[in-house]
Amino acid sequence: MPFNRKPQKFNAAIKSVVIGSGDKTVTLGGENVLPFYAFDGEIKNGPKVGVEITDLGMEGEPESVKAYYEGAATMGEIAKKAAAMEGADFLCLRLAGGDPNGLNKSVEELIETVKEVADAVDVPLVVEGCKNVEKDSELLTKVAEVLQGRNVLVMSAREEDYKAVGAAAGLAYSQKVGAESAVDINLAKQLNVVMTQLGVNADSIVMNVGSAAVGYGYEYVVSTLDRIKAAALSQDDKMLQMPIITPIASETWNVKEAMATEEESPEWGSQEVRGISMEIQTAAASLASGSDAVILKHPQSVATISKMIQELM
Amino acid sequence: MAKFVTIGERLSVTAPTVNKAFAARDEEPILKRAKQQLDAGAVYLDVNIGPAENDGEDIMKWAVELLQSNFDNVPLALDTSNKKAIEAGISVYNRSKGKPIVNSADAAGRIEYVDLAAANDAIVIALCNGEGIAKDNDERMMYCQTLLERGMEHGMEPTDLWFDPLFLVVKGMQDKQMEVLECIKMFSDMGLNSTGGLSNNSNGMPKNIRPIMDSALVAMAMMQGLTSAIVNPNDLRLMETIKSCDVFKGNTLYADSYLEL
Repeated sequence: MPFNRKPQKFNAAIKSVVIGSGDKTVTLGGENVLPFYAFDGEIKNGPKVGVEITDLGMEGEPESVKAYYEGAATMGEIAKKAAAMEGADFLCLRLAGGDPNGLNKSVEELIETVKEVADAVDVPLVVEGCKNVEKDSELLTKVAEVLQGRNVLVMSAREEDYKAVGAAAGLAYSQKVGAESAVDINLAKQLNVVMTQLGVNADSIVMNVGSAAVGYGYEYVVSTLDRIKAAALSQDDKMLQMPIITPIASETWNVKEAMATEEESPEWGSQEVRGISMEIQTAAASLASGSDAVILKHPQSVATISKMIQELM
Repeated sequence: MAKFVTIGERLSVTAPTVNKAFAARDEEPILKRAKQQLDAGAVYLDVNIGPAENDGEDIMKWAVELLQSNFDNVPLALDTSNKKAIEAGISVYNRSKGKPIVNSADAAGRIEYVDLAAANDAIVIALCNGEGIAKDNDERMMYCQTLLERGMEHGMEPTDLWFDPLFLVVKGMQDKQMEVLECIKMFSDMGLNSTGGLSNNSNGMPKNIRPIMDSALVAMAMMQGLTSAIVNPNDLRLMETIKSCDVFKGNTLYADSYLEL
């Protein structure tokens, strides 16, 4: 009997969310098949790769990252180089310096950096806060305001601050809103429910359902991504059909495997290679499990993951 | 597993306002009742125009077009003994939100409604009845087999026959209740879909009791594998029970606001 191929068809699809303005836009989501199941149906947009820079510039970055950005002295110049990275679809500015437990930069100072970066490049932009709920409520509201018209993705609204961030980014200034939950599928859905009840258009939400570096509870990330895609496609769950973005760099470069020097762990080999490897593996696994976009920082990771996506499509 | 499919029963000629509205092609009362049911979470709406021997085709076309154009192509169950009226309804039916349901066939005089559904790529409610109520589950399953074979002979997918065990009234047939529930389990074990007029069970009971009985029965029936029911979606207790059971069965993913969805 001849083999009879039966494509798995869903009567549901992930929503398409566009970020960016003018002729530089990128569309996240839109697929109606499981991750990379191009044999079941055409994958509309394909996963996207973002390059992360932070307001701290090159401070604390690995040597080979610094080497890539050599000669870039200002945030504007750094942004330009990041946007030009091979395989980059969008740029992500993370405002790490705003953390009250760290540098505690003022909102005004950070907004200057945001403006400088936004003025330097015309690629689609994602702006991440500093992870402190109180500071982010104020900071991200301001970010949404000053970038009006750029159609950026503001990350993120969480359970604690979705009203402030969601209302500013999603309602007042018509940006796209990240909805962030920490590897909790029920909360991921709930956040989308309450944000839409607040009035944010379901087509303006991108989920960040949490991440981890491989080896650090990553199984939960995979099962969360899996279950979300399954509910979105096979159960037509409208409150889980938002595309998923997963920040990778901010997780993988802070773990022991990436941080330990060769003097500390000679048996592990080159620190640089380890760091890149952690980033690539985590990104590949996230994409295979259902992320529609990943945020990376090392040029080699960006090029590799972008090539992987192209070849699997 | 797919979510439980509720079929809203309130557009029926048994309600005098609806009967009058169908006869006079009065849009307002029909749209009002349809909206109430959809707002409450009904998936399908049943359109029961009665026997409608004279102008059934015209009424059904009018109703299908009226409802689908006002409510984003809401999927409908076409409920009448007038076969021509069902065909007329399907001829103007938009399938983008789901196939039409033919309501209903049985294993005796109404078996041709299966053929009608097959010819029109529709779903059919297949009542496991012959002449009169089946006396036990052996008889019910015999009718189920007859209906299933009929459908498959005509090229239907088995999942497009939604088997109705016929819910029986507690007041008078209390001793038959577990049998009906066991029958649903048999459908489910065969991988078949099922539905039925669940509120039959509480016929004749005081108004305040009926939602309680209906909710308890729907929970037990969903445990047995019931995949759909023809219900009053404006019964809040019942709808909350169905949504909760969908969570327990893994048909929907829990979120704190699950009752509002």
